[in-house]
Amino acid sequence: MEAATIPSEVGAKRPSPLAFLSENILWFLFGAALAYYLASDFTTTLNDVKTGLSNGTIWALIALGYTLVYGIIELINFAHGEVFMIGSFVSVSLWQTLGVTDATSTLLIVLSIILATLAAMIACGSLNVMIERVAYRPLRNAPKLAPLITAIGMSFILQNVGLLWRPTPDASPDLIGSQKTLFTVLDVGILHSDVFAVAVTVPLLIGLLWFVGSTRYGKAMRATAQDPDAARLMGIDVDRTVALTFLLGGVLAGAAGMIYAIYNGTIQFNQGFTAGLIAFTAAVMGGIGNLKGAVIGGLMIGVVQSISDTHFGQVWTPAIVFAILILIMVFRPQGLFGEEVREG
Amino acid sequence: MAAALSLGVAACGSKKSSSSSSSSSAGKTLTIYSSLPLQGDSRPQSQSVVNGEKLALEQAGGKIGNFTIKYTSLDDATAAAGKWDAGAVSNNARKAAQDSGTIAYLGEFNSGASAISIPILNQAGILQVSPSNTAFGLTKSGPGADKGEPDKYYPTGKRTYGRVVPIDDIQGAAQATYQKDKGCTKTYILNDKEVYGKGVGSTTQAALKKIGITVAGNDGIDTKAANFRTLAQKIKASGADCMFFGGITQNKAVQVWNDVHAAVPTAKLFGPDGVAESPFTTKLSADEQKVTFVTNPTLDPKLYPASGQKFFADYKAKFGADPEPYAIYGYEAMSVVLDSIKRAADKAGDRQAVIDAFFATKDKESVLGTYSIDQFGDTTLSDYGGNTVSGGKLVFDKVIKAAK
Repeated sequence: MEAATIPSEVGAKRPSPLAFLSENILWFLFGAALAYYLASDFTTTLNDVKTGLSNGTIWALIALGYTLVYGIIELINFAHGEVFMIGSFVSVSLWQTLGVTDATSTLLIVLSIILATLAAMIACGSLNVMIERVAYRPLRNAPKLAPLITAIGMSFILQNVGLLWRPTPDASPDLIGSQKTLFTVLDVGILHSDVFAVAVTVPLLIGLLWFVGSTRYGKAMRATAQDPDAARLMGIDVDRTVALTFLLGGVLAGAAGMIYAIYNGTIQFNQGFTAGLIAFTAAVMGGIGNLKGAVIGGLMIGVVQSISDTHFGQVWTPAIVFAILILIMVFRPQGLFGEEVREG
Repeated sequence: MAAALSLGVAACGSKKSSSSSSSSSAGKTLTIYSSLPLQGDSRPQSQSVVNGEKLALEQAGGKIGNFTIKYTSLDDATAAAGKWDAGAVSNNARKAAQDSGTIAYLGEFNSGASAISIPILNQAGILQVSPSNTAFGLTKSGPGADKGEPDKYYPTGKRTYGRVVPIDDIQGAAQATYQKDKGCTKTYILNDKEVYGKGVGSTTQAALKKIGITVAGNDGIDTKAANFRTLAQKIKASGADCMFFGGITQNKAVQVWNDVHAAVPTAKLFGPDGVAESPFTTKLSADEQKVTFVTNPTLDPKLYPASGQKFFADYKAKFGADPEPYAIYGYEAMSVVLDSIKRAADKAGDRQAVIDAFFATKDKESVLGTYSIDQFGDTTLSDYGGNTVSGGKLVFDKVIKAAK
């Protein structure tokens, strides 16, 4: 026992420079590319980074939903992107019903945004819980492939719900003057929507980390993620914990849907598919099951997309994002921050 | 096993005999298929085209000589795609090709979709008339066409496809004229990478150069991207005073408008007929509408001949709403097909005879004006309309006589 631990500790204390390099090569490459572009055209690149980060906050929120669910039941919830789409639809419907426009008084706009956020979060959270109850829980002990197929099925069903709800792309009321410049730093205009996306996302992230890290329920979630059987033996209600995880994922997707509607100004029923794909990529990039990884992965994809749009043309952006994903998978199969999934 | 085998033989046999019978003349019912995207935001436009086609058939009495004409409307879109889908298009074309009663096929709405259905129908020897395809390469080679176009679409070497709407070298020239007219000096082109969007992008690019407007760039966009803010910054940095989007509404046209307008509020934004529809115009903000200009082959109703005026009145009376821009082309696509069947006279059930009659169309008086079909299957009509947008609607601005 002792003999087995000693060499590993020695190894940990003295990582060879080469190992350190290969371990972190992707960070070096990413940093070098960023430095190169900053050096060649500072303002444009800084602007790209800004746009990328604010786009990335939306990917990060969706990615968290994937990673939470995967971490706890090792299921890729393909319907998650569609839940996000429903979030956008709920918020825009609410604004349209209330008749809120950019001409409404500021106080009412703020109230309506808070209301829409809550409505989208509640709607998406409960939708996600229902999906879990109907489509995944009955298949908990079935082969892995079965819930994967029902997940794809749920995704199509929700897309069709979206299609019935709003067959044509719709414009969201521009409540915050989304693309108006709020202030300028180093020649880079910070837009209302940039600030808005960050202002809504950051508290949610902090709240989530606190919830998972410091509450009894969070502890139950982590325990279930590690070993559901042992967790059950310890008296944790596994079914309820899984449902709670879906609730959290749905709540974040709802918030992301609301931000997306305000941020971009157009919503459509198939927006969830691409967003889901990108967010899932972000989750894998950061290390599936790892909350911090999902957030950083989302932000990184946003920045990569934005820089690639400028320098390689938008046609190549998806190819570049996925090429980077392949590189990461080759060099670090566990993702940038390592997987946090079931043991054994 | 034996039963299955004999069934197979019987099926083969029946197929053979029915196709030979349809190429002689015996059938009593002929089917005209329509294939349009009926889901997603193409639906209002497509539904309006279907209405136009139905109206033409109804006004012709649903019969030509002894033949009853059956109309079947197919959907070439899928919910997942939200627009035309390659799989759905080829299913539709195959369905029509396998029906021995098929005499003609109206569609597709999108040029990229027709690039898939033309070869299938060409091999089956079925007349295909599109109410709306404008891509240059579907019928002609030259600038605006890709390598191998148009021959790759006609595996039999014979032409079977035609259209009633002027094609994109004419639209490109009209765009250039219109942009010059509105004071553009430097235009940035974006395209959605589809057969249509890329095609109209390059015909416009060629025409702009000819007319003396600088082309700052011609970029394909990622139609699945959430927004185009970075691209809009690039346009701003290029110093362009105008933007042209070669593409269709379904490929995020509104988002392109939002982002480019936010980055360069003074830039004039031009769109082709692919965005000439209410799902696009109603989604633009008031400020965006002021700088938006759209070319479209549909003209002001007042500029059409009496029969055209009657179409607009009849349409409204029957369907209770004004038609979308392409409805009149749907009407005319059906009319020219019915006319070709009629001119094939005794041979009306013969697919090849109807194709020949279509290509022989000369000085046809129609709701669009008098036109002929040339050897490539293209109409000789060439007027384009320039439109502004106001109150969420296209407002006819002027007829553009393209500088050729």
